[in-house]
Amino acid sequence: MKILVVLRMIPDSAGELELTSDGRGIDREWLDFQLNDFDDHGLEEAILLKEATGATVIAVAIGEGSNRVLQMAVARGADEAVMLEAEEDGMIDSRAIAGSIVALARSKAPDLILCGVQSTEDLFGQLVPYAGTLLGWPHVSGSSRVGIEASALRVTQERGGGIAATYEIALPAVIGVQTASKAPRYVSGSKLREASKTVIGKAPSEPAGFEKSAEIVALRLPGQRGTGENLGDNPEDVADRLASILAAKGFAGV
Amino acid sequence: MRIVACTEGSFGKLEPFSLEMITAARMAGAAGDEVVAFFAGQELEPAVANLGAADRLVAASAGGSQLIAAESYARLLADTVAAEEPGLVLVPYSANGLDVAGDLAARTGWPLVSYVNEIRRDGDRLTVVAQVYGGKILAECSVPLPAVLMVNPGAFAEVERRAVDVSKVQHCDATAIVAEGKVRLVGVDVPNYDSVDLTTADRIVCVGRGIGDEASIDIARGLADILGAEIAGSRPVVDSGWLPKVRQVGKSGQKVKPKLYLALGVSGAPEHLEGMSKSDLIIAVNTDPKAPIFNVAHFGATCDLFDLVANLSERLQAASGR
Repeated sequence: MKILVVLRMIPDSAGELELTSDGRGIDREWLDFQLNDFDDHGLEEAILLKEATGATVIAVAIGEGSNRVLQMAVARGADEAVMLEAEEDGMIDSRAIAGSIVALARSKAPDLILCGVQSTEDLFGQLVPYAGTLLGWPHVSGSSRVGIEASALRVTQERGGGIAATYEIALPAVIGVQTASKAPRYVSGSKLREASKTVIGKAPSEPAGFEKSAEIVALRLPGQRGTGENLGDNPEDVADRLASILAAKGFAGV
Repeated sequence: MRIVACTEGSFGKLEPFSLEMITAARMAGAAGDEVVAFFAGQELEPAVANLGAADRLVAASAGGSQLIAAESYARLLADTVAAEEPGLVLVPYSANGLDVAGDLAARTGWPLVSYVNEIRRDGDRLTVVAQVYGGKILAECSVPLPAVLMVNPGAFAEVERRAVDVSKVQHCDATAIVAEGKVRLVGVDVPNYDSVDLTTADRIVCVGRGIGDEASIDIARGLADILGAEIAGSRPVVDSGWLPKVRQVGKSGQKVKPKLYLALGVSGAPEHLEGMSKSDLIIAVNTDPKAPIFNVAHFGATCDLFDLVANLSERLQAASGR
């Protein structure tokens, strides 16, 4: 079995985001980029499948820091590394890159494409349904478990409200990973050093053939929506206030 | 213009966000625009009993399967869209919606904007406001029609529930489509609520990533015990295995509405807020003053949560004479 894993580098979610002067983009100059957390889970699920079935794993990365993340993927167990050209200084728009992923899939012929169920930049739609539908492959978003049982692909999908549905899916397929079956593993420094010599292939960007989704007119920071009271940062003062608030509202007794 | 509002339901119940999709459709439409509710599920009953505020209901049922896979839903929706030729399709942001919205956009080539909170009609286009970067940034977008929008649950009010007039229901049997699918349902797991049901808890103490590790949850449990509260966790805490799934609050966990919700070290991603923002009294503690949880909290503090728990536990115990 051959697995293609998509790794997207996106702005660090914990960082502060500032807008460009025209208000239509975020200022990327000083941003840290990191691997999309859900894609990290996709990679882990691929490696777990490799360990269980002997599959080969091809990792394709896009965005700033791709080299580094591809080396990490190889250190984790990926067999091949490919970099996808990205538009400079722009959002990694799944609708825009779907065509490139589909072209890569047609050339590498994987049985399974794994990527994160969402990315924080998929304003114009998610990669899993775009890629799946363009390829004509079944696609399922939001997996908490992907496995091969009796030669069939079994996927557990989180449906909301704590409900989980398990499906048997005909290959080839595209799965959007929410959580890998196990937490992404730690990679040792020595494995990373070995992987630094990885030869990274290049995949050209291909248009998906979609019309542009929508025009971003303006970005803005959400205003303070809440009218809550800030109790400050001194734990004793905060505890005093909360104790009286809870007592006043009848919560202090059990 | 005709607008198709997608709705969902399973286990005999309609998802409440279904009623929000109809409100959103009315807001996007001009007077006289027809709103057609689309439903695909195991049974018709939840849709027929509740979606009367739409002008018409197109519903597909496939009895015998507990829920419909997105693959079948998307295919049935595509057939309906081809027949109805709407100018706009609204899909809720749900597990199902994540597959369905992109699938429809890919098939039709129509524009798609996800995580939409607001919709305004602007002549022959729409202006929408959508969340990006986990809600840290709002994007105002101008969208040409026809288009697909994936709409956030909780962004629009629910339209009132009433039964659909029988003359306004178009029903199709989805059994064959489900049987032909490449995604075959083999099992459904519903969590065991015997031990804990957060949706009936009056008081909840929820820990987020800020709790740090599994062992530290005991510190929060101590405070929860004093308050007579259930302990809960955000998605990262449950994904790490530190709390069981039945204790998860959020989009893929439980939606709760307790009298007291104390969030410790929870950042407040939109998917978490979806699960608790309607709680009566929300108190949030997070060292990041920009944490989105503070947008819904009635009271917030930026001190260290462990210091706060220690101090608060002491005061509550002293006050109750223990």
